[in-house]
Amino acid sequence: MVVIDFTFKEKLDRLIGGELHSYCYQCGACVGDCPAAKYSKQFNPRKIMLMAQMGMKEKLVCKDSIVWECTNCYNCYERCPQDVRPVEVIVALKNMITEEGLEPDDVKKIVDSVKKNGRTVDISNLVNRRRTELGLKPLEEIPLELIKKIFSDYPEEKDK
Amino acid sequence: MKEVLKYAPFFGCMISAKYPQFEAAVRKTLKNLGVELVDLDGYTCCPDPIYFKSSDKRFWLTVAARNLCIAEQAGLDMVTCCSGCTATFSETVHNLHEDSKLKEDINRRLKKFGMEYKGDVRVRHIVTVLRDDIGLDRVKESVKIPLSGLSVALHYGCHLLKPSKVMNVEDPDHPELLELLFKAIGAEPRTHTDHLLCCGKACQNSDMPANMVHDIMTGIEKLEAECMGLICPTCFDEFDLGQIRLKRIFGKKFEIPVFYYFQLLGIAQGMTVDEMGLHLHKIKAKDLFERFAVTKTS
Repeated sequence: MVVIDFTFKEKLDRLIGGELHSYCYQCGACVGDCPAAKYSKQFNPRKIMLMAQMGMKEKLVCKDSIVWECTNCYNCYERCPQDVRPVEVIVALKNMITEEGLEPDDVKKIVDSVKKNGRTVDISNLVNRRRTELGLKPLEEIPLELIKKIFSDYPEEKDK
Repeated sequence: MKEVLKYAPFFGCMISAKYPQFEAAVRKTLKNLGVELVDLDGYTCCPDPIYFKSSDKRFWLTVAARNLCIAEQAGLDMVTCCSGCTATFSETVHNLHEDSKLKEDINRRLKKFGMEYKGDVRVRHIVTVLRDDIGLDRVKESVKIPLSGLSVALHYGCHLLKPSKVMNVEDPDHPELLELLFKAIGAEPRTHTDHLLCCGKACQNSDMPANMVHDIMTGIEKLEAECMGLICPTCFDEFDLGQIRLKRIFGKKFEIPVFYYFQLLGIAQGMTVDEMGLHLHKIKAKDLFERFAVTKTS
């Protein structure tokens, strides 16, 4: 059974770039050049825009949502005659998924690393040995105080 | 005496911590091109335009704007060496320019750092600086050992060119920037079947990226190109380490060495393969450069 969530659209409209889904007239220009659509049996940006318009929240904002198959290549942004920027609508959907704590572990891991170290990649002794060998200065840790200050209000009022 | 060009470099997490050989290549080759890189303090992760943006776009814009403010306050163009960082900063500049209410909100969030993003800073991928500021002639002049006859399969990656109205580099369907750059060092750029295909790294599905990389590598193999040349550390990750993965999944060994443009520029400028860190790659260059009379060790 398909469940329609009438508040979903309003919420998506409040996210940066999320509101653009309303302009989609289902022409499919985004699909032709979409690598994810080519390499996946199920991924289709046009259908994702339609499902968003219809308020099919359960299908989009869930564990292992199809939206994570997007490769973020921006071909759809480039092709869309309506300037829907489907990839940005997909990002808004991902923001909703993350807010519910349903994002994939790999995404969580990288975001946690930035929140902890200020970087996506940890600095190890190996990294700095390698840098020294190449004639580069060793990397310094990003001050904990700065990281704390940056993330003191994370997450906050996500759907403002 | 040619004018000295000054920029604020942003190397990002992936290059500075995972592939520092790219940073070394950029620093060493730009010195030979009369460029001064002014390192600024206080940066964090750009933050990354895939995972971090997926988690909270408004927060992503805030952290990116904070980094941009550092270059803006120094009055220098921010030069990025990673296509991912380029995407984050270019999109932030675009988003905040396009939406004044959003800019106001981000600036409200930047107050705690005593910062204000004005929107004066320019973000430029380093290859566009080579083309537009330094000039291809100056690149050619810096070459001591032209890499004549080295066939290089070009791979553009997505975030240098798209979205074109944000990046403003060139037509993403018919790009020529990399061809010009590789020709300038004497190499023979080659166009493989999937040269504009995404590397697949951002896709959270284990099969799809492997199939994409497999197709890309197959196209390069058919072309009989000796190596692959690119400008994005994420693409590099997918294609260098990716070939090890392909061997495991498909039992197919491609053995196509992958290089970041500035490593080849460095070799053409007379630096050794070790100085350019080629020994750190998973797919070894082996004797690829011996014909250019480049010594193996420094």
